[in-house]
Amino acid sequence: MTVQSDRMSHHLSFTGFAWRNLWRRRLRTLLTLCGIGMAIGAFVGLVGFSRSFEHEWLQMYLSSGTDIAVVQQTFLNTSMDESAGITLKALPSVAQATPMILNLMDLTQDVNALAYGWMADSYEFESLTLKSGRRFKDGKPEVMLGDLLAENLKKNAGDTLEIQGSSFTVAGIYHGGSALEAGAVILPLDQMQKLGSLQGKVTAFHVRLRPAPPGESPDHYIARAQAEIEAALPGLRAVPAAERASNNQIVLLAHAAAWGTSSIAMLIGILGIANTMAMSVFERTREIGILRALGWKRWRILLLIQTEAAALGLAGGVLGIAVGWGALRLLAALPQTSSIVSASFPLLLLVEALGIAVLAGLAAGLVPAWRGARLSPVEALRHD
Amino acid sequence: MTSPLLEVRDLRKNYDDGRIEALRGVDLSISAGDYVAISGPSGSGKSTLLQLLGGLDNPTSGEVLFQDAKLGSAIDLDSYRSQQVGFIFQAFYLLPTLRAIENVQVPMLAGIQQANHRAQRAAALLCEMGLEDRMNQYPNELSAGERQRVAIARALANNPAILLADEPTGNLDSMNSARIMEILTGIQKQRGMTLIVVTHENEIANAAPRHIRIRDGRIEGMPEP
Repeated sequence: MTVQSDRMSHHLSFTGFAWRNLWRRRLRTLLTLCGIGMAIGAFVGLVGFSRSFEHEWLQMYLSSGTDIAVVQQTFLNTSMDESAGITLKALPSVAQATPMILNLMDLTQDVNALAYGWMADSYEFESLTLKSGRRFKDGKPEVMLGDLLAENLKKNAGDTLEIQGSSFTVAGIYHGGSALEAGAVILPLDQMQKLGSLQGKVTAFHVRLRPAPPGESPDHYIARAQAEIEAALPGLRAVPAAERASNNQIVLLAHAAAWGTSSIAMLIGILGIANTMAMSVFERTREIGILRALGWKRWRILLLIQTEAAALGLAGGVLGIAVGWGALRLLAALPQTSSIVSASFPLLLLVEALGIAVLAGLAAGLVPAWRGARLSPVEALRHD
Repeated sequence: MTSPLLEVRDLRKNYDDGRIEALRGVDLSISAGDYVAISGPSGSGKSTLLQLLGGLDNPTSGEVLFQDAKLGSAIDLDSYRSQQVGFIFQAFYLLPTLRAIENVQVPMLAGIQQANHRAQRAAALLCEMGLEDRMNQYPNELSAGERQRVAIARALANNPAILLADEPTGNLDSMNSARIMEILTGIQKQRGMTLIVVTHENEIANAAPRHIRIRDGRIEGMPEP
């Protein structure tokens, strides 16, 4: 009975056979896994970072209730006249319009943060929760710190903060719904203008619309409001919040950099698998001949080699996801980057990473598999 | 009169763009259940003939018929090798990463049998070869004689009509050689299989009921079956 169960434990499956072939050269397999793992890790880390950035941006708009952002043609230009707000507020569809400046500032040698210039009566404060202190006052050298940034800077309400050579009092500490707020510093708009010599200029107006009239769909209403704003303010763009979150220069640049860098890493990973599979097929030429002699068809040889390549890709993908997840956690914890990235890990990214890893394996295995499948049994059996 | 199992007509095989003529017009007929030995000096073409009979290669001209169907056109060579032929090689050609019982299952992976059935059949064949205590060993843990017995079990895995053995005792001592030939002839008799053995050993060749001698790519003498 024991002997029988022992025999039965040695079922040979197709995938088990593929696994044995990979495992016979453990070091090479593990090194290849590291290569593809690093490539997928780079993809997960970089693309995850850029998507997280986009997500946080959208979250910020959603939590503040901003429907439309009015901007210059170029995104980060703080060149719009603040006076445009008067025209904007007079439009029938506009409930509230608040000017703002956005910038990235070095607060210490190690900590940089997004800096917002807001009016003290901006509706955007409604989405923030004051944890200590109070809201700043316009015209005063005061700031409010997001709780994440305050923790990184070790500042409390009442402390002093040096920004670009000027002293500011920390009026309050707030909690924001997104990392872009929690890791940011908010200054009075006039103070921000003074710091950047941008008197009378703003980056954007954030607009809350009045409720849509009965019978009009939200999308149609927003499109109509966009047209109304752009007609009233020629040369400016009215961009729906969701579009501005996903389609602004910073996010697009982050996406492009992430995809560009991870594509190069993926190419290196694919070459690594291709090299491993090519060597493996060469070393196993005679074994492929044996399989062909035993009646294995060409497509089955191709399938075996592609299964091995895909398994390498999949295992590398799992490793890469772990590496990428770790990198994202690290970025979310580092003071330099915590203000623009959260540690959230979207399921879609995981599925994409695994899919790309398997496809990379299959692409890398294609030529070696084709070469293996083409071998004549007689020639392969003669191979030393 | 029943038609032959295997028939060879004017079979020719050239290598190196025709500079080497391995087979130069071979005609041969082998019936089901025959035991045929093919002998000849090195380079005479005996292994080439075995390869063409086994569907491992295509002839330059001429034809090999299995049950009146031409190999390579009426019958797909892969299917023929998988279902009708079992190969036994001088160098055993076991896969080093697989245990004996797993090696025997390899030909069956090309079929549709379930994993349980494959393992059971492999175990039964190894028991038949007297290897019931060695089936979980890897090839490098087996003696040469044991490896060849595993190879025979593997050749029988898909219950073929023909066993083709290319110098099956070439790497064995005399005791193991005798044991292997005993097993092969026993299988041929018990199962009614056609057994074709290529050998350079006269003792083995002469023991076969039918002995074909090849020299310079041609059959030298062919006694009546």
